[in-house]
Amino acid sequence: MPEITLQHVTKRFGRFVAVDDLSLVIDNNAFITLLGPSGCGKTTTLRMIAGLEVPTEGRILIGDRVVFDADRGINLSPDKRDVGFLFQNYALWPHMTVWQNIAFGLENLKWDKARIRKRVTELLEMLRIEDFEKRYPSELSGGQQQRVAIARTLAPNPQVLFMDEPLSNLDAKLRTEMRTELKRLHRDTDSTFVYVTHDQLEAMTLSTRVCIMEDGHLRQYAPPLEMYSRPASLFVAGFMGNPPMNFLEAESDGQVLTFAGIRARFLPREGTVRTGKLVLGIRPEAVMITDHGPEARVWSTLPSGMETTVRLRLGDQTLTSVVFGNLDYAPDTLVRLQFGSPALLFDREQEGAKICEGSLEIL
Amino acid sequence: MPSNASPGNRLVRTGGRIRAWLSTPANLILLLFLILLLVLTLYPLITMLLEMFTVHIGREESLTGLNAGEMTLYHFQRLFATAKNNYSRNQFWTPLLNTMAVSVTSSLIAILFGGTVAFLVTRTDMKYKKFVSSVFVFPYIMPSWTLALFWETFFKNVNIGLKTSNGIMASVFGVYAPEWFVYGFFPIALVLGLHYAPFAYILIGGILRNMDANLEEAATILKTRRFRILFRITLPIVRPAMLSTFLLVFASSMSAYSVPVFLGSPVRYYVLSTKMKALMDGTKGQAYIMVGVMILFGAAILLLNQKVTGSRKQFTTVTGKSGQISRIRLGRANRPLALILVILLILVAVVPLFTFALESVIVKAGDYSLSNMTLDFWIGQNLQERLDQGDSTGILLNPKVWSALGFSLGLAAVCALVAGTSGILVGYGVARRRGTRMSNWVNALSFFPYLMPSLAFGAIYLSMSSRIPWLGGFLLLALTGSVKYLPFASRSGVNAMLQLSGEIEEAAVITGVPWYKRMARIIFPIQRSTFLSGYLLPLVSCMRELSLFVLIVPTSNTILTTMLMQYSEKGWAQFGNAINLLIILVVLIINFTVNKLTGASIDKGVGG
Repeated sequence: MPEITLQHVTKRFGRFVAVDDLSLVIDNNAFITLLGPSGCGKTTTLRMIAGLEVPTEGRILIGDRVVFDADRGINLSPDKRDVGFLFQNYALWPHMTVWQNIAFGLENLKWDKARIRKRVTELLEMLRIEDFEKRYPSELSGGQQQRVAIARTLAPNPQVLFMDEPLSNLDAKLRTEMRTELKRLHRDTDSTFVYVTHDQLEAMTLSTRVCIMEDGHLRQYAPPLEMYSRPASLFVAGFMGNPPMNFLEAESDGQVLTFAGIRARFLPREGTVRTGKLVLGIRPEAVMITDHGPEARVWSTLPSGMETTVRLRLGDQTLTSVVFGNLDYAPDTLVRLQFGSPALLFDREQEGAKICEGSLEIL
Repeated sequence: MPSNASPGNRLVRTGGRIRAWLSTPANLILLLFLILLLVLTLYPLITMLLEMFTVHIGREESLTGLNAGEMTLYHFQRLFATAKNNYSRNQFWTPLLNTMAVSVTSSLIAILFGGTVAFLVTRTDMKYKKFVSSVFVFPYIMPSWTLALFWETFFKNVNIGLKTSNGIMASVFGVYAPEWFVYGFFPIALVLGLHYAPFAYILIGGILRNMDANLEEAATILKTRRFRILFRITLPIVRPAMLSTFLLVFASSMSAYSVPVFLGSPVRYYVLSTKMKALMDGTKGQAYIMVGVMILFGAAILLLNQKVTGSRKQFTTVTGKSGQISRIRLGRANRPLALILVILLILVAVVPLFTFALESVIVKAGDYSLSNMTLDFWIGQNLQERLDQGDSTGILLNPKVWSALGFSLGLAAVCALVAGTSGILVGYGVARRRGTRMSNWVNALSFFPYLMPSLAFGAIYLSMSSRIPWLGGFLLLALTGSVKYLPFASRSGVNAMLQLSGEIEEAAVITGVPWYKRMARIIFPIQRSTFLSGYLLPLVSCMRELSLFVLIVPTSNTILTTMLMQYSEKGWAQFGNAINLLIILVVLIINFTVNKLTGASIDKGVGG
């Protein structure tokens, strides 16, 4: 299975720059997620790799084959790129039965009848939709339609599978179920998956690597857990994780930080602390409610059974803590806090870049 | 960015880009149609502009003292500023005023009648809805002169108009209607209003049907009275559709030719279109100036309409969430109201057909006794022995009628095929490349023929064909019809394509399905009925078309509609009525057969 390489790819729609000078290598067999808020260029990127959209500049390779090169005037049509594409609203052909939907693409590839029958049967079984082969798409539930769309996409054994927010039209329960199936499918089909989503949880749980984008720019490209614990910037830190990371405005003298009326020594593990105004980032699970440390007031408590989210007022700032287990504080209860690691420092003057990682020692 | 912009490199890139651009079918289609439409709409328009300044062979030469082909401003001066014998007033200003009066009145009638019925059908529990909604579109499917001819044959009498004979009203009931009631402004406006009422019904009904019931329910919850909801919520929401209907009916009435010919000419009541036709004879230059005036009005109205419908989008909220529309209960008024409507519809849509049948079998006009009836005008032979005027055989035995019917059908089929197919292609190109300049251009150009009144459109194609020797006969008629009906077809094409998400096609692109196969196996089957409506509308329109072809047919016997005109002008009433009935029946049969077989329908085409 091939590696996909994007070199300096840019896409402009008139004056609007949808994707700006994007370079990216997608490893063989990876499950890559393109993640970002709507309008960040993730779908455009996916469509450019698939050949459904023509880039304005740059070069794209699948394996060692150049499929697009603006400088040399190369632009392979989608069907010559050996890719599969799963669309957001499935794009099942409403006038064809489930069977016809899956078989249509194979007929175009001039497969013989017996081989088509074998392959379609195999897929129907694999996706557990054997009973529906004679039905039309409108006679299926959302989840069943989804499976048919997957079967149709997998039918010609594409080397690479592209998916554009394939789960966004399903209800919450079905979405969780399909998520585990997609992950399993990735293993079973042994191919490269490129997946577009705006749901950070999907990106976290599914992918081997996440490519996070904002305004057409690549912001960070890393395995999901690394991105979670070591985000490259304020944007990435804020986008990954739910509830999102706490950001506290802090004043630094190079060693000691002052924030929300608290003074704490910052012990860097990586990078150096500069003086001036900085942003201190702490994940909610690193804000621990204990019996010692600075005092905070409970604003509201949201117990969900397995864990409890507590919103707190600390001095003039608000922060979130997630506590494992079932707790219920009355509003305005006074509690005490400890800060775990990692604690991160971001610099707004450098476009929110992370400058330092470490831990806090309250003075 | 890597900077490698050497000249050779740039050439390769440009070449590659052009190749990539052209490899997309949508781009290729748009380019093709852009060129075609420029030639077929702008070129004739330019030749027409030239005609306004040109001296034509014949009377114009002696009037101006110039040679044919020379340029002059005489036509303008003559038409707009000749006080002598009130020439300008009679030839231009009065017809213009008449046109305005007729168009405004007929638009109001259409909206009032069509809108009321649309409201009754979509928003109340009125009885006989099914009958009403299916019969109501009849007048729109039938030729526009149907009602005009019916009106005339029904009310005419020996005291008015051409004073030839008594109609049913005078001879059977002894009621002699006054002239203003039978000819001129009143009947023209009324008949046009009734003819275009289905148009208002389709447009306004579409909005009412799709309107989110929550909007009204929200008002109900706030304890608003029914009556107040209608005036404060419902009507404001359909107001843009009403305005749009008003403008479109106004434009259509303005260019209508057959109705004012039948109901105006006998009393010398002229509108722009009928005057223009008269001026064509001997004073072509002035006729073309009049065409120009009509086109200007059409363009202005369509621009206005675009403005109105542009803001319409904020109003139509199609959520599909609350399909339950609470219908107004009409209570005791229900049955009487429904019955009145049914009777009215029967009068407008069914009785004319019987009248034509009746008029085509009586020998002596005005005498409706059984002894005065004969089928001679349909199937008689050697009629010259018994009649002092008319053909020697009944129309069904007349080879001229059959050849005209064949010609009309062939012409309609070709126009429908060309216009319908072009409409699908234009729809595909425009929808796929939506937002690009090219797409906007082609979209606008394909709608351009709609701006031009049929008679004017025929006139400019006439002037174009006079410069191109091989363009004439069937080819000219087919070309004119195809271009003129393209707007209907491209409208339904664009609508159909916009309803279809691009992903549906891309799912096939990924597996390498070639373009023609994507069109034939995926896109067309899914939107079959809407696409087919794009064929049906040109087919039906062409079959009953008079004003578009009246100037460009080789002889009056070429197609059925001009043949009817000719018979009616000669005063061969029975033959005329028989042919008229034949045309109406053919049109109705075509429409309902296609509708039953394919699900395509006229209102799908208009509904845009």
